[in-house]
Amino acid sequence: MTKLMTELPGIERIRTRFIEMLAERQTQIASYGLAAWDGETVEEINSNLAGAQAILHQIAGSAGSLGFEELGQTARNCELQIVDHLAGPDADLAICPIELISALDSFVALCRKETDALS
Amino acid sequence: MRILAVDDDPIILELLGQFVEIIGTHELLTADSALDALEALADPDIGHIDCFMFDIQMPGMDGIDLTKRIRETARYSDTPILMLTAMSDKRYIDAAFAAGASDYVTKPFEIAELTSRIKIVENAAQGKQQRTKKIFAAKSVADQSKHVELFEPISIYDVDNVIEYTAMENYVAQLSRSALFGSTTFAFTIREIDAFHASLSAFEFYSLVSDVAEVLSDTLIGHQFLMSYAGNGTFVCITESGWRPDMAALMDAVNFELSQTELFDNHGTRVHPRVSAGNAVRLIWKHGSSVMDALADAHSSAEAASLAHTKSLTNFWQVDQRA
Repeated sequence: MTKLMTELPGIERIRTRFIEMLAERQTQIASYGLAAWDGETVEEINSNLAGAQAILHQIAGSAGSLGFEELGQTARNCELQIVDHLAGPDADLAICPIELISALDSFVALCRKETDALS
Repeated sequence: MRILAVDDDPIILELLGQFVEIIGTHELLTADSALDALEALADPDIGHIDCFMFDIQMPGMDGIDLTKRIRETARYSDTPILMLTAMSDKRYIDAAFAAGASDYVTKPFEIAELTSRIKIVENAAQGKQQRTKKIFAAKSVADQSKHVELFEPISIYDVDNVIEYTAMENYVAQLSRSALFGSTTFAFTIREIDAFHASLSAFEFYSLVSDVAEVLSDTLIGHQFLMSYAGNGTFVCITESGWRPDMAALMDAVNFELSQTELFDNHGTRVHPRVSAGNAVRLIWKHGSSVMDALADAHSSAEAASLAHTKSLTNFWQVDQRA
């Protein structure tokens, strides 16, 4: 747990808000992931992956500060996988790699674990 | 200090709010997008902002473009801007510094780091008036007559990749966190800068330094670099692209460009600034204070080269090849 977590007053309130938002964000990430997987055009696939990446970026930025290190690191890894794909040689092909969907699936499962534990 | 934080994640804004509450007597204002921030700043009732904190990656206008917009305003042209970044990609951080950022903090936050960065910003904001003078495209008569000491760093605006000296120090301090394999620092000194300083008015001196910065920046274009005017006629540069500059060739290129640029003082007399180049110092396997020492080495070698050149004009038998 970071120093920020242990020292800030009012952190519990922010953690609770984060978990509430996480429930909503995991659903959004799953929706983007499914839409990317089902997508038939490059634009459809990439825009949905970018949507998932933007939410992962937010989670990665704040989770660690609130004591959810594993969640933050997993979000960061997923984000970087998407960034690499979107900047890589397959970015202009209508391909959604199974590895990305698998990583998003694992991340959503981890989110559920965290939200269930605190609900 | 009154701080304006801009981040699209409400959790980050709440965290910063809690953080600011515990570290002292600061006031935090927040905006969840760059456009909201610009709108708030356009409101005359908002009062003065002493420090900005911008997330780099935001939907719509990102923190880098927001920094550029803020730097275009005379009011906030040198207000400290602390970037908040979750990205390890240095390109974003370099772009933020080039846009005018003063420093950055990585997410997730830790109290110790955030506190020290805020403290540095606070000190910089307090000391700014004493240490740094400003150049604006259209300066007031009062500003034009303001004296600037020869050794003082000067903030130069609207020249690509030129950043404030304090931002350069922060940038170099942060460099030690990452690999320094491809990093090199080097410097140029305007020859006989003391004579220019003595004979030109404050505004003419600002203009001279600014014009030389522009020529240097134009000459270095095509390479990744950041540059800062450190005072005493010296520009310190740093590149991390793996490029190893040939200083003698670079100095010739800069001086050729200067010879092609018509610069005049307020009386219409042409001035002929030329630069001397110091050593290119590689930063590989350096860390902590030795990175700063390398910067100082590059700096002092350029000044020594400039001095050697001046001496060579009066002592024909001692000619340094590079100077």
